[in-house]
Amino acid sequence: MPKDKLTVNFRFRERLNKMPGGKHHNYCYQCSACVAVCPAARFNENFNPRQILLKALLGAEDALIGENSPIWLCTNCYSCYERCPQDVRPIEVIIALKNMAVEKGTAPTNLAKLSENIAETGMSVTFSSAVKRRREELGLPELKPVPLEELQEIIKDDKKE
Amino acid sequence: MTKKNNMKVIPFWGCMMPLKYPQMELAIRKTLPNLGIELVDIEGFTCCPDPIYFKARDKVKWLTIAARNLAVAEEAGHDIITMCSGCISTLKEAQHTLAEDPDLKAEVNRRLKRINKEYRGEVSVKHAVVMIRDDLGLDRVRESIKRPLEGVTVAIHYGCHILKPSQIMHVDDADYPAILDDLVSALGATPLEHHEKLLCCGKGCMDDELPLDMTGAIFESIEKSGADCMGLICPTCFSSFDMGQILLSRKKGKTYNIPVIYIFQLLGLAQGMGPEEVGLHTHRIKADKVLEKIKGSVKVT
Repeated sequence: MPKDKLTVNFRFRERLNKMPGGKHHNYCYQCSACVAVCPAARFNENFNPRQILLKALLGAEDALIGENSPIWLCTNCYSCYERCPQDVRPIEVIIALKNMAVEKGTAPTNLAKLSENIAETGMSVTFSSAVKRRREELGLPELKPVPLEELQEIIKDDKKE
Repeated sequence: MTKKNNMKVIPFWGCMMPLKYPQMELAIRKTLPNLGIELVDIEGFTCCPDPIYFKARDKVKWLTIAARNLAVAEEAGHDIITMCSGCISTLKEAQHTLAEDPDLKAEVNRRLKRINKEYRGEVSVKHAVVMIRDDLGLDRVRESIKRPLEGVTVAIHYGCHILKPSQIMHVDDADYPAILDDLVSALGATPLEHHEKLLCCGKGCMDDELPLDMTGAIFESIEKSGADCMGLICPTCFSSFDMGQILLSRKKGKTYNIPVIYIFQLLGLAQGMGPEEVGLHTHRIKADKVLEKIKGSVKVT
């Protein structure tokens, strides 16, 4: 294939369209308003939301959800969502891409660590004995029990036929 | 507009405040009753869940857990208030998304049916500062004050999630917010403008360097402003700035020593409480400079 030929992976874009928030990538007209307000782009030249959207429009699967993708540098600040004149909601497209990377097994290993507490305890933060003592010292009431079984039931995957 | 006399609301505490920074829960429990707000604690909540990592893992499951929490409040029959920017972000966005996308709502309710729950979308969720501004009014805050924070200059840090996206959060103008400035002014303190007032703290970025560079930029800007302390609303930002100053000192060799105070701790001080009563002694960066300034301050009536 000649090098100057532009290829679009529509199959990947179809998959992205099916993820919640993914469909809005189609509206991007590459104006860079998101880049102007993006703190991650300001502090790290490897992150550029317009380029991520361009890659989404091209369906560049490896660049977006392969190992070491720049999507994980997003600070989740929602400035791009606030500013985008096309309602692309770039952060939500990035989150859709993150969900796809998790499915593919290419998400950074610390993501699992940072999110598994919720599925295992119902809370995102581990209740340390030091904080337990501090709550007592501050005279705070005992914590209400967490309905862990209910939480686990609703996030359970459906049985494959 | 007539303001309500007394309000009963369900506090949605989330994880960060009760399990990591209980001094924030303490400040809320002590200050809100002085404004005529009764907190009705109920059982049945889980993590909101967090709008960064769990959402990145699986957005449908993230929405499902959020919808379950909202359904629990719907059953209890009172509105929810949250005091955490992460919780308000998750719960408001879940409401917005499920109203916008009936297919997702159906999927979420299919999952909730397993535990005989249903998300209907009828409960109101507000941040406590929004309830104070809109339902009670700042006069109620002024009336509750016994020791105005006169002479205290505060660099307010809004953080991201309480404001953006404004079309979902409906809290304030995301570029020119006033809600916390107005609240801090009502306490008698002076909010100071500074260049990086609206910069993200960087905590949600999964990189080692970038968040420290961002908090460093914010402290550089606050130091130039000469503010006595930082006043903030978000427990995740708090970890970036309180513990964050220890890390900046250790890793970048730059020491700022700017006390980081949760807005409701400032309210507690203004309502006449001592620093330990609002848990200020638990912070890494001590607030001595602020406390010295308000020593002897009394309300002139």
